[in-house]
Amino acid sequence: MGKKKFIDKKKSATFQLFARDSSDPNSDGTDRVFVRVDNNSYSVGSFLPDSKISGNSHFDDDPNSIFADAPDDMEDGDNGSFGNSANFGGGFFSETSSGPLPEDVRREIVELGFPDDGYNYLLHMREIKSAVNGSGFFQNPKAKLDQLPHDVKAYDASRVKVSELKSEDRNDKSIYNVVSKSVGVRVQKAVDPEVAALLDDSDLSRFGSDVEDLEEDFVVRANLHEGGEDLDADDLVEGSEVINEGIGGYVNYGLVRENVADRSGVEKAINAPAEARGDFGDEMQRVRRPLDEQFDLLERQEYGTDDEDDEYDGYIAKEDEFLADKLKHVLNDRAVDNLELDDKYEVPADLLHDNDRPKNKELLDSAADVIRLCREYGKKYENEDEDKEVIIEEESSDESEKWDCETIVSTYSNLDNHPAKIGAPETARKKMLAKAVVGALNASSHVIALGGKEKLPVDFLPHSRKPATEKVKAMPSLQMEQQKRKQHGQESKEEKKERKAAVKEERREARRMKKEMKELYRCEAQRAQKNAAVAGPSSIHLA
Amino acid sequence: MALAVMKPVKPGLEEPHDQIHCIRITLSSKNVKNLEKVCFVLIQGAKDKSLRVKGPVRIPTKVLGITTRKSPSGEGTNTWDRFELRIHKRVIDLFTSADVVKQITSITIELGVEVEVTIAD
Repeated sequence: MGKKKFIDKKKSATFQLFARDSSDPNSDGTDRVFVRVDNNSYSVGSFLPDSKISGNSHFDDDPNSIFADAPDDMEDGDNGSFGNSANFGGGFFSETSSGPLPEDVRREIVELGFPDDGYNYLLHMREIKSAVNGSGFFQNPKAKLDQLPHDVKAYDASRVKVSELKSEDRNDKSIYNVVSKSVGVRVQKAVDPEVAALLDDSDLSRFGSDVEDLEEDFVVRANLHEGGEDLDADDLVEGSEVINEGIGGYVNYGLVRENVADRSGVEKAINAPAEARGDFGDEMQRVRRPLDEQFDLLERQEYGTDDEDDEYDGYIAKEDEFLADKLKHVLNDRAVDNLELDDKYEVPADLLHDNDRPKNKELLDSAADVIRLCREYGKKYENEDEDKEVIIEEESSDESEKWDCETIVSTYSNLDNHPAKIGAPETARKKMLAKAVVGALNASSHVIALGGKEKLPVDFLPHSRKPATEKVKAMPSLQMEQQKRKQHGQESKEEKKERKAAVKEERREARRMKKEMKELYRCEAQRAQKNAAVAGPSSIHLA
Repeated sequence: MALAVMKPVKPGLEEPHDQIHCIRITLSSKNVKNLEKVCFVLIQGAKDKSLRVKGPVRIPTKVLGITTRKSPSGEGTNTWDRFELRIHKRVIDLFTSADVVKQITSITIELGVEVEVTIAD
């Protein structure tokens, strides 16, 4: 009975065809190479191009291979893997640098645009061939290989000082070793020209500020320097200019050249009031034209007549006096309300009619006034009552509004909030599960049928829709067998009735199935609804 | 495996001095057309060299299927997507030395066809 196998897998060597590893110096130009993929001790001498005994050492011995510095796989030594035990003892890392690269390799590297720094960049390059194993090369006409994509910025770091390592250990795979040997290769069209210009520019004289060290009281100084009232506007303008310039000086520090134009504009503006100031000073000495006199007259008439002096005095006064003094000053001519109560408080009526003590006339007068006014208000109030209705306005405040728990569930609007009855959602699922279980139990044999790839008991799974679908599929087939469709107009009344009944039954069944499905997925719908209510726009309506 | 599996030597040709191995080439791919093409080429090549060839044996194709609901939510008619991945496999047996096999497989291989060679004595 033992059929002789063609190939005994345990005693054979298996090779897979892979694309050529470009780091392999022994590759003879073919695209593909056979790589041994099993660990048996069967040896095939002549199958591999480099005629090594064990295929595993193919990568291990090659110092320039990209796998050279990877830690060896931990193999159990039971299956007699060939080269691993030897390599395992030999340490994890092997040499990667193999001295200066051969001349032609170097030339090719430089031709491709990579820096000539002792690293063989060709390890990462792959030759493009038309018919390749598993991958193809398609010419992309829109590729701009010399320009960077828009979201990448490259800067020339050729002048960056990298710390020199003391040890000239070339074997040390430090990144500094590579960088310190790098040459200034220009990446074309990589740098923003403005940024490049700025970086190149070591002369920072542009950013120096002409007007240094503003005095703290420059506003006052400016005012004093001007002298006269008409220069208030000028002062304000000049003050703001000065402030602008100060801020501008700070803001412009380290910005791109475009703003320099603005800054020079600001500078000009700074110079302008100085000039204006100077001009105005000059103008004072200039001969006053009749137009000037007319202007002054007009101004005085229209704008500066009455309040001019008073305001000015008041203005000065405000500055000097404190608040309390000011109040006293203002209230001096008003009647002082003597609030001091001597012994007891006396009602105005008593004041009037009481002859016990001396009162001053003022008190009496005021008392009389008070009584009179009260009388008037009282009359008004009484009369008003009869004519008009009393309108009682109830203030609606949040505290006074009564909510009762029956009327309001939430204060959210119903556009976004779809409140539902709180119920335990699990019961629906369990029903289906129970159904399935019951169905399976009642079904047939006492054997639990395992089905599918995972060998699970199919009938007992809650979401196995196979029995249901089978049922559905079975029924129409039965029906089709039973009915033999008679030609149009030839079926008798009973047959027609039967047919109609069958159709009705079908439809009923379909409806039932649909309802079942809907029940099944009710939880899903609720969940989706909840998610949409939280996250989605309110225009989405979920059933 | 028996050592003396010798291919029938045609008179006039020199005896093969290389050791004859049993070689099994397994080709697998998602793409039937390319696979059949490669198969055909291999067998032609082997027949040209008058080697003993068995095959191609077509292993039943494996269908890896994923059936998912089309809808991202639970709403709507329950429509299902059926995605599948088909893997075809062919096996070719040869009786020849290793060099010849290397020659044969050095011809252009189509896109997406995976080749595995098992050599036994």
